[in-house]
Amino acid sequence: MQMHAAHFPFLSTILLICVSGLALVLVLPKNSNAAVKWVSAACSAATLALSVFLFAAYDRAAGGMQFVERLDWIPSMGISYLNGIDGFAAPMLLLTGIVFFTGVVSMWELDFRVKEFFALFILLVIGVYGMFMALDLFFIFVWFDVSLLPMYLLIVIWGSSAREYGAMKLTLYLLFGSALILPGIIYLAAVSGLETFSLPALVENASFSGFEQKTAFLLFYIGFGILAGVWPFHSWSPTGHVAAPTAVSMLHAGVLMKIGAFGILRVGMFLCPEGWMYWSPMMAVLAVIGIVYGVMVGLRQTDLKFVIGYSSVSHMGIVGLGFATMTVDGINGAVFQMFAHGVMTALFFSAVGHIYDRTHTREIGELGGLSAVMPAASSYFVIAALAGIGVPCLASFWAELLVFIAAFRVYPALAMISVGVLVVNALFMLRVVRNTCFGPLNPRWAHLKDMSFAMGMPRAVLAAAIVGFGLMPFLMYDLIQTASVPLIHALGPAVGLAGPESVETLFTELMSVWP
Amino acid sequence: MIVPYTHVMLLGAIVFLMGMICTLTRRNLIMIIVGLEIMLNAAAIVFVGAGLQFQQIEGQVMALFIVAVAAAEVSVGLAMVVCIYRQRHSIDPQCIENSPRVPDPKAASEPLTLNT
Amino acid sequence: MLPQPVPEISLYLAWAAAVVPLAAFGIILVFLRGLPRAAAGTSVAAAAVSLICAVCLLVRHLGMDAPLQSSVTWMASGDFEIAVGTLLDPLSLVMLVIVTCIAFLVQVYSLGYMAGDAGYGRYFGFMSLFAWAMSGLVLAPNILQVFIFWELVGVSSYLLIGFWYEKFSATRAGKKAFIMTRAGDTLFFWGWLILLVWGGTLQIFELNSGAHGLSSAMTTASALLVFGGIIGKSAQFPLMTWLPDAMEGPTPVSALLHSATMVAAGVFLLGRLFPFFSQSDTVMTVCMAVGTVSMLLSATMAMVSRDIKQVWAYSTISQLGFMIMALGAGGYAAGIFHLTTHAGFKALLFLCAGVLIHAHDTNDMFVIGRAGGRRMKTAMVCMTAGALALAGIWPFSGFFSKEAIMGALAAADNPVWLFCGLAGVFLTAYYTFRLIFIILFPRTQAAGANSHGHGSVPASAAMYAVLVILAVITLAAGFFAQGFQDFISIHSPHAKDGHTAFLAHIASPVLAVAGIFAAWMQFGRSASDQVGFAEKIGPVGRLFASRWYLDHVYAWITDRVLDRGIAEGARRTENRVIEGALAMITGWVVICGRMAAGWHRAMIQPKLMVAFAVMFGLTLILLVV
Repeated sequence: MQMHAAHFPFLSTILLICVSGLALVLVLPKNSNAAVKWVSAACSAATLALSVFLFAAYDRAAGGMQFVERLDWIPSMGISYLNGIDGFAAPMLLLTGIVFFTGVVSMWELDFRVKEFFALFILLVIGVYGMFMALDLFFIFVWFDVSLLPMYLLIVIWGSSAREYGAMKLTLYLLFGSALILPGIIYLAAVSGLETFSLPALVENASFSGFEQKTAFLLFYIGFGILAGVWPFHSWSPTGHVAAPTAVSMLHAGVLMKIGAFGILRVGMFLCPEGWMYWSPMMAVLAVIGIVYGVMVGLRQTDLKFVIGYSSVSHMGIVGLGFATMTVDGINGAVFQMFAHGVMTALFFSAVGHIYDRTHTREIGELGGLSAVMPAASSYFVIAALAGIGVPCLASFWAELLVFIAAFRVYPALAMISVGVLVVNALFMLRVVRNTCFGPLNPRWAHLKDMSFAMGMPRAVLAAAIVGFGLMPFLMYDLIQTASVPLIHALGPAVGLAGPESVETLFTELMSVWP
Repeated sequence: MIVPYTHVMLLGAIVFLMGMICTLTRRNLIMIIVGLEIMLNAAAIVFVGAGLQFQQIEGQVMALFIVAVAAAEVSVGLAMVVCIYRQRHSIDPQCIENSPRVPDPKAASEPLTLNT
Repeated sequence: MLPQPVPEISLYLAWAAAVVPLAAFGIILVFLRGLPRAAAGTSVAAAAVSLICAVCLLVRHLGMDAPLQSSVTWMASGDFEIAVGTLLDPLSLVMLVIVTCIAFLVQVYSLGYMAGDAGYGRYFGFMSLFAWAMSGLVLAPNILQVFIFWELVGVSSYLLIGFWYEKFSATRAGKKAFIMTRAGDTLFFWGWLILLVWGGTLQIFELNSGAHGLSSAMTTASALLVFGGIIGKSAQFPLMTWLPDAMEGPTPVSALLHSATMVAAGVFLLGRLFPFFSQSDTVMTVCMAVGTVSMLLSATMAMVSRDIKQVWAYSTISQLGFMIMALGAGGYAAGIFHLTTHAGFKALLFLCAGVLIHAHDTNDMFVIGRAGGRRMKTAMVCMTAGALALAGIWPFSGFFSKEAIMGALAAADNPVWLFCGLAGVFLTAYYTFRLIFIILFPRTQAAGANSHGHGSVPASAAMYAVLVILAVITLAAGFFAQGFQDFISIHSPHAKDGHTAFLAHIASPVLAVAGIFAAWMQFGRSASDQVGFAEKIGPVGRLFASRWYLDHVYAWITDRVLDRGIAEGARRTENRVIEGALAMITGWVVICGRMAAGWHRAMIQPKLMVAFAVMFGLTLILLVV
């Protein structure tokens, strides 16, 4: 892995902007709600600008880790503050920037304990940003926990239905996941014999035995996978979504679940390729079960947020399937799906939150005909639904396309099942859209007004991202390619095979044995 | 050593036994805590004696630690005793029979208000 | 013959024809929502530009001797390339002209029909979206591009069918259309996955020329799956019930999407991949079978329907069945020619129906007849012209295309297909003229016939102009039959234009006239009671009217198998198994915690004594050991 040092520490700047935003929010006087909101919006806009800059400024020809910064943190244990982004992390940073900014603006109408909310929210985002940038295993774990703990407070204080249960379940389940990750990290760092926690150093120099890799990968897969919504460890997610306030749901489904998948990628797949290969059939099966299951359970839900929550489980299954294929196309599709689904689900929750703030109900049976009074809000809802269905020229189509093609090469039967579920996916999304937006107007909602321009702006940004990357997917694929191609080509020697040609024969054999 | 090592150990053992009997047989919460303190002090005596015997300063260091820990623990313990007294109006250990059940987390709760 | 690169001007023309409507869509939806007339103007202008480009392209390449293809790599991932481009050969040129011409005419018609509607701007935006998607589809050089625009066409259909979203039935129809075509698209997806991964190529040219790596079993399998997509999109059996319901949309939408262009996309794909499908005889037989069944079933459904638009919808399914039969029998030019003529006269029929519906505010043909529909002269004349073309009477275009189809069917090995085709001709003429006679010769004239109902506007000049143009096309197109078929057949090596069976060519017009006569006997004569022979037999009439219970089957599948079966099972698994397991684990933890808490709760002193005793005992054991 090539490391290109940064001329200016952009990555730390992002973190420092957030930290200073947090500090400023904390010192503001108690009732200055507007000031708190403007400070948060400014902080999020600044980080969004920086993440867009990093996305664009990443040198696609050079590849490797860029904008690398390093500080020795605890030298005696080999822990260093090491940041860097590659083709996988840069889209995730962009995603975080977008969701952070739109989340802050979506909560503009909050009036209950505003200061505490935004302070906790910024703290959460610090953890998220840190996780995507960090290249030292210790810091990856620290940021992971920093992004988990504020969730409890955010949900339990500002949430809605069953918030104590939802908050407790979410936090405990995810902490259980982190309890699996920490031993994995320490185990690998200890047996490597290199006295370092730095990921690039471990990838280059450490050679783990097969048993070590398989155990560690399993720990990472389940530990991070709980956060990524891997079936059957997904049940914290719908309950958590329902209980959480709008911006927290946006962040949760949009970014937090991607942290889990990113953790599997960054820690599991980089460090334990043999373990990855060993567990990939199981990964594929669990992913496909998740895809089918999320859609089927979502069909029977009557609460809007539950519907979207279960569809998130289904979409994250596509990410898992992409990872399980161990091909360039599969990983490209999976990372693109992480971005596309993040933006799409943020738009969904943003639209649902707007509807809930106005109507105070999320039951599908009670809503109806909202297009007549809120055309702008409904059209965002429809765009999000169409993106969820996988309509071409909206971002998630390209992701699903590549994942299905890659999966068909390696696991044809599983890919066919996943494609077959697309119909049911369309059915339940369109049902939700019809019952919410279309149809005769329920007279209870006749007095509602549409979205103002200010409230519509974050949703417009999200919709623009979906359509923009849907029409021009190469903007993101060129970036992701720079990281996935070296990763897959490096698999050859690491798993004891001669090179890419042998990997092909391996897949052909896998294909003939495994349906 | 001025005092033989075995004598110091014996002193520690006797003090510890006295503290243990105090804890186990008194019908007064404060006297139970006093018994704990006596046991801690016995441990400190043993540490100092062993430190002198084996010529390691860690013995004295441990005694200081014990003093600090005992102080912290006593403050917490006495605070709890005060709470119990306020609730039950008695410091007899037999009156702390039933502790309240944990509430069902799935039950709906009242919404939080600004005055909370 | 290898495809040559596209010359520069033609390339610009092709891209313009496709992309200008996309620009119109974007502009309208973002800026012009509140300015309905500007939106309409933009959309119609874009349609006109597309039409001009398409005609120029056709004229430029009238004498082409090799297909022209050029692609641009839109995105590359690993070694998989997604290419976007154009393929210009007679089929795509002709289809492009058809699509842009009908789109332009329908949009002009909509200027009058949709006037005063609240969603005027949105309507024209979606029309432009559809125009872009359809143009992209017909110009596609590889299956992936076909698939992408196939789905986009489906989305614009959903948005347009459910256009009047306050009506629950409209949104339900839109959803049904999307889901059924999506089911077909799933089969299509499976099919082209096989083509890509095991055949190695998605280029249409390579597939057609046999330069793919598929075994013959795989060829059959993938062709059948792709045909599944065609079944969905072209509303053939069994995925046919979405099309009659799609009539909930505005009539111009029905005319454009659900008669002339979108449903024809399926037949277009069959024609596009005709050489590939011909590589497997099983597939061709299946095509013919499905086409025949659809044609006959939908003709029976049309015989008993009271709704004008539904009759034309069933008729569309039936005619598409004819086209697929022809293509399955090897009559490539015949099928494509019928596609062309059908686009013309079916759009005409729908637009005439639109005029009548607009004036009388009802779809029921009996009510329109009684309310004086026959008094709208232009509409009735044009509709009769269209009906004659549909029935296949000389000199209208439908006659020539039906003749070509009969010729292709006669060349097939099994005479069953020809008999079914002839039966279809009879039924077509019958149900078509049933509708005409019911409107022309109503039983009872309502006193003071109200030809202007609530909210109806007399048709505008734009609408009439379009009707007349289409009627002229319907009349004239037949005379270009031979030239058309020669042009189309240039590059399809498998086109078997059958040697004619004299009997078939005589029987077809005779049966058409017989059908008209039967309709006259039952509906036109003043002494008849206007009840068809099918309706007279109770169970048969009910069978036809309820669409052969297909909808019941689909409702059963969705309700019992999916909703209350699999989905409910999944939900119960979620609640009982997964949440149950979680609750069990947390329950154990709570119990263990309570147990541990019990050790230092309540009577602490005896428990402490036990603890000390245990400790001393352990220490003694350690000292001894």
